[in-house]
Amino acid sequence: MMSTWARPWVLVPVVAGVLSAGQIWASHLRYELSLENQQLNKERQETLKETSTLRLELANLTRPERLRKLAQEELGMGPPKPMQVVHP
Amino acid sequence: MSDKKQIYIRRRIEAVAGLLVLGLLLLVVRAVDLQWLQSERLSNLAEKQRYREYTALAPRGSIFDSKGRILAESVEIPSIAAMADEVPAERMGELASALGVSKKRVQRKLGKRTGFVWLARQVTPSVAERVMALNIPGVRKEKGWRRYHPLGPETGHLLGFVGIDGNGLEGVELAWDSSLTGESGLRQVRRDARGHSLPDGAWLREPVPGKPISLTIDATIQSIAYAALSEGVRSQNAKGGSVVVMRPKDGAILAMASWPGYNPNNFRHAKPSEWRNRAVTDVFEPGSTLKPFSVAAAIASGKWKADSIVYCEKGAMRVADYTIKDDHPEGWLDLTGVIVKSSNIGVAKLALDIGADPLHEMLRKAGFGQKSAIGLSGESPGIVLPLERWGPVETANIAFGQGIAVTPLQLAAAFSVLANGGMYVAPKLFADHLSTTEELNHRVIPAEVGRQVIEMLEYATTEDGTGSKAVPIGYRVAGKTGTAQKPNARGGYSRNKYNAVFAGFAPVENPELAIVVMVDEPQKSIYGGQVAAPVFRHVAESVLPYLGVAASGDLREGWQTVEAVGERPAFTADSLYGMSMREARFFAAQRGLRLHVHGSGWVSRQKPANALALNQGDALEVWLNE
Repeated sequence: MMSTWARPWVLVPVVAGVLSAGQIWASHLRYELSLENQQLNKERQETLKETSTLRLELANLTRPERLRKLAQEELGMGPPKPMQVVHP
Repeated sequence: MSDKKQIYIRRRIEAVAGLLVLGLLLLVVRAVDLQWLQSERLSNLAEKQRYREYTALAPRGSIFDSKGRILAESVEIPSIAAMADEVPAERMGELASALGVSKKRVQRKLGKRTGFVWLARQVTPSVAERVMALNIPGVRKEKGWRRYHPLGPETGHLLGFVGIDGNGLEGVELAWDSSLTGESGLRQVRRDARGHSLPDGAWLREPVPGKPISLTIDATIQSIAYAALSEGVRSQNAKGGSVVVMRPKDGAILAMASWPGYNPNNFRHAKPSEWRNRAVTDVFEPGSTLKPFSVAAAIASGKWKADSIVYCEKGAMRVADYTIKDDHPEGWLDLTGVIVKSSNIGVAKLALDIGADPLHEMLRKAGFGQKSAIGLSGESPGIVLPLERWGPVETANIAFGQGIAVTPLQLAAAFSVLANGGMYVAPKLFADHLSTTEELNHRVIPAEVGRQVIEMLEYATTEDGTGSKAVPIGYRVAGKTGTAQKPNARGGYSRNKYNAVFAGFAPVENPELAIVVMVDEPQKSIYGGQVAAPVFRHVAESVLPYLGVAASGDLREGWQTVEAVGERPAFTADSLYGMSMREARFFAAQRGLRLHVHGSGWVSRQKPANALALNQGDALEVWLNE
């Protein structure tokens, strides 16, 4: 004898309900992932942009003319005499 | 139920059924209309609602120096734009205030216009945030790229600059624009009902970033060259100048600087005439710096030897209807003496003796009169007259660097020929070309001739020569000064406008640097030895240790030796035994003897034995042993 829940008129709506719920959950998951993906892409772009700016800033701070000026004016250094360069 | 009532009910049923059928029919018609007849238009509308296309801008390729340091980089930067007809007039005031411009200016840009209008290009991120925070209808933020050159004026002429739309307009940025420029991409994304992008987007066209390029330039050497040039030009109140530093072995251009400089990050503040890279676009008469090539052509012809002597006519010589003069009148000089004393008459006689053809051929092979393969736009080929126009006067003049025009780059490449023992190595600016342009290399001068000319040029930088101020302590330099009158508009030469030039290479024993310094219209002194040679020394003494070329301790004593030679106690003796080659040469030059030298080191044998009995023009042969 078939139990009540296994009868087709009960099973079909239950399966349909489960599938619908699954579909809704998958759709929600896809939406959430989409948002996360967009956020990560945005962060990636921002990081690339920041890297580029930092590289430029580094190039600007280490430009030879600036280092030479700092060495001469703040540290009192000067160009080495030829004999002071032991291991060039 | 009566028949009448039944008929009435049937009629009602038929009417309702008819209406239903009519309704169904209309639905079918509408369905056909929507699904078939209007299908394409409606699909497009739906697509537009569901899909959106984004343009992804591709950054311009970076430019690096030979050690991977950034010379040019693009940074993403916002711009403010507006749909002109959507911006409310009453909010233009606050928009102008946020942009930091006058209200009138904003009104002028937006008034009576429709569609897309740029309000401010390439603003700082803080300005863009301030504007967008106002949330004014029709105002939007657009992304773009701005080019920065961190070395500023030091690389201004060389790298050039990029316009606001990302196109290279000068220098390397223009010459390699197609390679540096990227291609923007187009991405299509599907949106949900709330406008959020769904993850199944697709590239309609992938963005292609610009390719980075590496130059042979070394940022440190470039900076040194620029600083040395600016100091040299300022100290002379000169109009301008150029420096080219080249590695002779592979032709790599290590530095190329011009003065006055301009900041490529703010290029609009400089006059367009200041944008050009003078080291490749401007030509000048090389003057005496061309003499080594005339002497090399004479020796290579086989008619002359390094120790041949030539009479320099005591300072004036007539060629056709033209008189050639020397600043310092000389009598007999050997070829080293001709170079050291920089005698116009001496080289003119050599050139007239060997004829125009060999000299023309040598100059052509050394790269004069033609563009190099360096690839920079606006490069001048210089001026070398066609051979058929070389009469005696032209031949004599060109031999000492008049009537010919060269660029600083050409002169650097030509002196690299001497540094390389006679081999021409094409100058290169693009690191990838270092190994790919070897087919352009060729021999200009036989190696032995090259070696002899190097010795002469080294002698020209001793205290006896005109280029002594080019020599840094501890290094051996071979080079030649040049002082050339500038041509004037009337086809003659200016009386008071000169170019001062020094070209040379160091260290002599293994040349790492060929350097050309050209100073335009110096005011305090006009001589290459006084104006350009110190700039050469400044560059060489800073760059050689940086490149790992150690100074030699022995050479500090070397100068004292030269001074001792200057006193000549040895020359009162009747023999040359124990003299160095330099001392023997001086001995011979002083007496007008034709010296033949064998070997190297110190004189161990001479012929004839009593040198003091020889008269001017007689031959003296010496053998040297290490």
